[in-house]
Amino acid sequence: MRNLLNFLARHHNLIIFIILEGLALFLLTTRNDYHNTRVVKGLRGLTTGIDESIFNARSYLALRKENRLLIDENIALKNTMNRLNAREPRSYYPVIDSTYNQYFNFTGAEVINNSVNRQKNFITLNMGKKDGVDVDMAVTTIDGVAGIIVGSSDNFSVAMSVLNLDFRVSARIRSNGYFGSLSWDGRNTGEAILSEIPQHAPVIQGDTIETTAYSAIFPEGILIGTISNFERSGSDFYNIRVSLATDFRKLTHVNIIGNLRREEQLQLENQFQ
Amino acid sequence: MINTLIRYGIIFFLLILLQLLVMNNIQFSGYVNPYIYVMIILLMPVEIAAWLLLIIAFLTGISVDIFSGSPGMHASATVLAAFVRPFVLRIISPRDGYESGQGPSMVTYGFKWYLLYAGIIVVIHHTALFYLEVFRFTDFFRTMMRVLLSSLFSVTFILFAEYYRKGR
Repeated sequence: MRNLLNFLARHHNLIIFIILEGLALFLLTTRNDYHNTRVVKGLRGLTTGIDESIFNARSYLALRKENRLLIDENIALKNTMNRLNAREPRSYYPVIDSTYNQYFNFTGAEVINNSVNRQKNFITLNMGKKDGVDVDMAVTTIDGVAGIIVGSSDNFSVAMSVLNLDFRVSARIRSNGYFGSLSWDGRNTGEAILSEIPQHAPVIQGDTIETTAYSAIFPEGILIGTISNFERSGSDFYNIRVSLATDFRKLTHVNIIGNLRREEQLQLENQFQ
Repeated sequence: MINTLIRYGIIFFLLILLQLLVMNNIQFSGYVNPYIYVMIILLMPVEIAAWLLLIIAFLTGISVDIFSGSPGMHASATVLAAFVRPFVLRIISPRDGYESGQGPSMVTYGFKWYLLYAGIIVVIHHTALFYLEVFRFTDFFRTMMRVLLSSLFSVTFILFAEYYRKGR
């Protein structure tokens, strides 16, 4: 206590200075809008960094709950979407678009019948001539190529699956552009054969195979699959096995793609054949 | 004693009135805002207790503050000026020491000494005041320019006032 009093006595000037200066600064920063704002802003800048890291840690801990909420929301949205879809008229509108150079027309359809265990497999879709779906349109899934429409009635259409011995599509290796013909050999539902790739082409296992525009059915660059293995056949060509990107055992939603200029292209090409 | 108090009281009111009614209205291109009330600190006797000087400084500053609508700003700068005054006096003390019983004046210690004394304290006061006023360092050199120009003006005025005080 005595020491404290001594200390106070010795430094009374400094203490009074600090008290008065503190009082003045307190008045300055609380009674003046401008200074007050500056101080509050400065303090906020100081605390924002800390707040941010706390928030980050907290949000990480809440991820499970967030995920749950998102899933619930997703389910609700999907249900709503389903209800609305059922009510709306189906919507494949073939539009002749000369303004925007539209080349392809996309629409969604649902698979109502599908097989994978025969040699000639077909997919039945819930859209037909009424919806503008016609022969020689392309069928794809989100994953990749699924088939080609071969017949349509008023309300349904049938597509030839990739898993059909008669199926042919022009395909190429994405990395180098060498193209060949893709077909199915009737053995494995997950693999198809890419033929007619010349042996001087660089082929690597895992290379991506995609469609070309040569058939005037598929748009260019739709994924078909990846090379699972390859061998040199007796002729000048590779024998390439392609692991298909589409899982035909669980087809549900597909896209139907119509080429709006197919007629024009074919007519022109026919003149020279 | 009573005489001294009355004399300082009158000086106090005169300086503050002069500051509020005249000096606060001088706005020369935004650079010159003289604050001459700091002369109250300069006039106090050399041997005045430091704590008393601090309290007087606070009262002076807060009086100016109340009338210029900036609570704390002038008080803060003036208290700082009062705090450094004893140190300034010690550093620039004349060879024969200070005479007791009166404030540091131009008559006793000469023009050069008084210029140094007033200059140091006014610049310290103005620096604190102007930087507290803008309250940021973005316009650092512009504020410094204001400090120097205003100090020049304030010191000039204080020298004039001191000169006429001497003559009386």
